[in-house]
Amino acid sequence: MGGRLIKGRGLSPGDKTAKAIVCDQFISPLGEISKDGLITSGPCEDSCISDKILVFRGGRGSTVGSYTFLELKNKNIAPSGLIIEEADQMVVTGAIISDIPLVDHVPLDIFLNDDTVTLSGSTGDVSIADVIKKRVATVYLLHKGNLLLLKRSTDMTTYPGQYGGISGYIERGETPEQTGKRETEEECGIKDAMVKAIGKDIYVRYGGLLFEITPMLMVTSKADVKLNHENSEYSWINPKSLGDYQTVPKFKETLMQFIDYL
Amino acid sequence: MKQLLLTREEEKIFDGERGEAAKIAIRLLYSLGELGGASRLIPIKSAHISGVSYKNIGEGGIQFLRKISHKVSVPTSLNPLGFDIEHGGPVTIDEGFHRKQMEIVEIYRKMGIMDSFTCTPYYFYNEPAFGDHISWAESSAIIYVNSLIGARTNRESGPSALASAIIGKTPDHGLHRDEGRRASVVVNVDEPLDYTKLAALGLYLGPKLNKLIPLIKGQKKAKSIDLKALSAALSATSSIPMFHVDGVTPEYQLISDSPEVINVGSSEIEETISKNSSQEEPELIAIGCPHLAPEELEYIAQLVKGKRKVGPDFFLFTSRDVKANARDAVRTIENFGGKVFADTCMVVSPLSNSYAKTGTNSGKASFYLPLKGYGNQKVAFMGIMDLMKWVVA
Repeated sequence: MGGRLIKGRGLSPGDKTAKAIVCDQFISPLGEISKDGLITSGPCEDSCISDKILVFRGGRGSTVGSYTFLELKNKNIAPSGLIIEEADQMVVTGAIISDIPLVDHVPLDIFLNDDTVTLSGSTGDVSIADVIKKRVATVYLLHKGNLLLLKRSTDMTTYPGQYGGISGYIERGETPEQTGKRETEEECGIKDAMVKAIGKDIYVRYGGLLFEITPMLMVTSKADVKLNHENSEYSWINPKSLGDYQTVPKFKETLMQFIDYL
Repeated sequence: MKQLLLTREEEKIFDGERGEAAKIAIRLLYSLGELGGASRLIPIKSAHISGVSYKNIGEGGIQFLRKISHKVSVPTSLNPLGFDIEHGGPVTIDEGFHRKQMEIVEIYRKMGIMDSFTCTPYYFYNEPAFGDHISWAESSAIIYVNSLIGARTNRESGPSALASAIIGKTPDHGLHRDEGRRASVVVNVDEPLDYTKLAALGLYLGPKLNKLIPLIKGQKKAKSIDLKALSAALSATSSIPMFHVDGVTPEYQLISDSPEVINVGSSEIEETISKNSSQEEPELIAIGCPHLAPEELEYIAQLVKGKRKVGPDFFLFTSRDVKANARDAVRTIENFGGKVFADTCMVVSPLSNSYAKTGTNSGKASFYLPLKGYGNQKVAFMGIMDLMKWVVA
């Protein structure tokens, strides 16, 4: 296993490795975590969090919730660690007084149940056993206000037949912009595309891979597209009609980062 | 990241020169200050502490309290516990629970904390003023004093409010600053709501807004008592520290540019009430989450005056001082056959020792009581007039 996969914000110190339990919900530690270490409501109802890395959206509810972690710790059935999208004072306090490492500012959808996760509550480093990171650049290419939509070839290993933008691995020594320009030329034969904006990185989990994707908006004066083998179809669409297409993960949400340019 | 700077005296505390308890306290405040991006600690006028019921904090909580035990340096009030200390009830408890509970109470007493035992300390015990910087725990009280009084507190946990009470300070971030108090979402409500419907609005909005501060429109006639129900339900189901009500709350003009807008109609409110309510006949009617004000006791006394209770048990929850300030009402309710308890409530007492089905007008109680391994109740959540039908012939 290599070094860190993703860096969050370390808020309660300690290093731990354990299996993940992923709960896509806000949790009130008072009431929604039982004295036996079970989640009592929501999508993870009846799941046990003892000795697991509990990955969840965040805390809510009672300000007594901090003590729930302390009581679980006292009974040796506390979670090994906590990973949260956005931490709040109550959960952070609970983690600190109970010596449970906690990291926030990590997206929860990069984890799967039973992943073996290692976290450092001091540095904020998080890794998942047997998962490696691949850096990707994705280009949203505009021509006269229309968005280029590509249909991925059926022989592509990832997301065959789905719609997306121009996309490719960032090679060693390349900046994301350089990758974006290179891929635009390789996949579409367009050489004049200019970068208008670089978005915030997003993460997509694909089996043993974690794609760290740098999205960017580029514009071109050319409407003529020459596809290579990676894509089977292209069209220039009104960005508003993107909802009609089955696109690769997070493609639609990510376009919203560029809403001011559309 | 901005660094939190400590004064020379604070650094001494941090390094343990003022003892272990103060060191634990200031280190917790320091970590939370870094989390919130505070650059300094500021003095507070009062604190309020949650984490009193043995049911909630357990053995681990007792050990922590022993470690951090130290005199508080500002007026500090305390949340309810598992039973009424002077009169017993609302349910029978075993000797072990009683002993552990009184051990917790004694630790807090030694620290110089008031015997308030209420989640509404702003009635009589510990009333903040507009603009006061304070450090409060108890989610329903935090949101109430921020929103209705205009005092300033972050959403402190039991341990962090205690740490602030000891040090007399809190990190300067979040709700202590104007920027942290702005509404970022406008909620239009299409009809005036009463106590229970405002509670339902809280249950509906909590999970949707998560931590956003809303400005609620269309409730210009809302009274403090009714907004107390909204406070409790909204904060039980989210980490929202404050709300504004257009034309009602003191800081409703604090709003961010281009807020999101949500519309809520009577159908959402009715759906929320029915979703949170079982149809079974209750064994107990429990009112007073949050604790009742004198005028609520007087209102209920009017409803039951000269009548005899039928059907389920009828329990009301408040504080000792509220009881003392509503003696006639309490007598009327007791003559009717109801009971008025101080120091405790239906959520923090081990209610399931004696009851399995409870009726309440509290959105907060309707959230906590059904949870398995916590309240274990089937809950009938409805307005007070509907609840009274069970007990008034």
